[in-house]
Amino acid sequence: MDTSPHLARAGWMSLLAQADPAELAAAMDGFAPPADAAWLRPAQTGLYMLRGRIGGSGAPFNLGEVTVTRCSVQAGGHIGHAWVRGSDPRHAELAALADAMLQDAQRHDALQAQLLAPLAAALDAKRDSASRKAAASKVEFFTVVRGE
Amino acid sequence: MLAAFADPVFDSQRTFRELLQAMARPAAPRPLPVLPPAPAPVAPAAMAILLTLCDATTSVWLQQPSDEAVRHLRFHAGLRLADEPQAADFALISEPAAMPPLQRFGAGDLRYPDRSASLIVQVDGFRSGAEADRLRFAGPGLREPVALAIDGLPADFWQQRAALSARLPLGIDLFFVAAQQVLALPRTTRLLET
Repeated sequence: MDTSPHLARAGWMSLLAQADPAELAAAMDGFAPPADAAWLRPAQTGLYMLRGRIGGSGAPFNLGEVTVTRCSVQAGGHIGHAWVRGSDPRHAELAALADAMLQDAQRHDALQAQLLAPLAAALDAKRDSASRKAAASKVEFFTVVRGE
Repeated sequence: MLAAFADPVFDSQRTFRELLQAMARPAAPRPLPVLPPAPAPVAPAAMAILLTLCDATTSVWLQQPSDEAVRHLRFHAGLRLADEPQAADFALISEPAAMPPLQRFGAGDLRYPDRSASLIVQVDGFRSGAEADRLRFAGPGLREPVALAIDGLPADFWQQRAALSARLPLGIDLFFVAAQQVLALPRTTRLLET
């Protein structure tokens, strides 16, 4: 686990964005948002251009556009941001609220245990199951001679 | 930090429409439809104009760049800040009494007169009517000369502007804001000799 605060925050923001919206909503039920929560930027959906280095030369290439919903909230003296793939405004709002609350030292440990840990476990299980399904469908062509 | 327009798309479109109308009918105060929250020293009406007209492709010079105002504008408008008035596409004058001379702002060049600065000036108020201390303006968009006084400008402001108006089509476009009102003076509006 990296101890740098920026990387830790990047880690949980990434986890919140990748979490299943229904699981995130269920996990956030137990945490009331601070009373002074105010939306700095209400959830808005737009398109981002994804760029990658696809060609052999490594030059940037426009891979395609992705739908992104972003949201920012100020709660309890902290500002939480969220960028979430897809067009679910509630997902972005919950992720932004969770980001703001996770920066609060008093709430951090409880959220870490009851929100981030289950979401990380669910994400790992999903990845594991996907890679198992892919591995199970792997075909070995015994009749084809490779690499000669 | 504060929020910006509650409904960014429609609020900025409504504000844009009013600014267009203000430029087409110069020297007439018009109320702005939406006033977003704004940190000091930016007035809400000036903030509405900045959020409507400025984005990552425009550079803005702030006369009083307070930390909070800079953070607010960077977050909500994504704009670039200019270090020098000369380099700015837009300038926010929050204390007109101490403003730099108009000659220090970009007036465009002869091939591209549109590459000039637009100033947003926070003044104390507007007074129209035919009293003795009023200035008279004429030009495109005005059927007959209009009498108007703008409070809170430096004493030699109108001399500076007259010097600029000799350089048409180069020049500077002005938005004045006071409370909820906005009033535009494009470069083509002439100040008449009294």
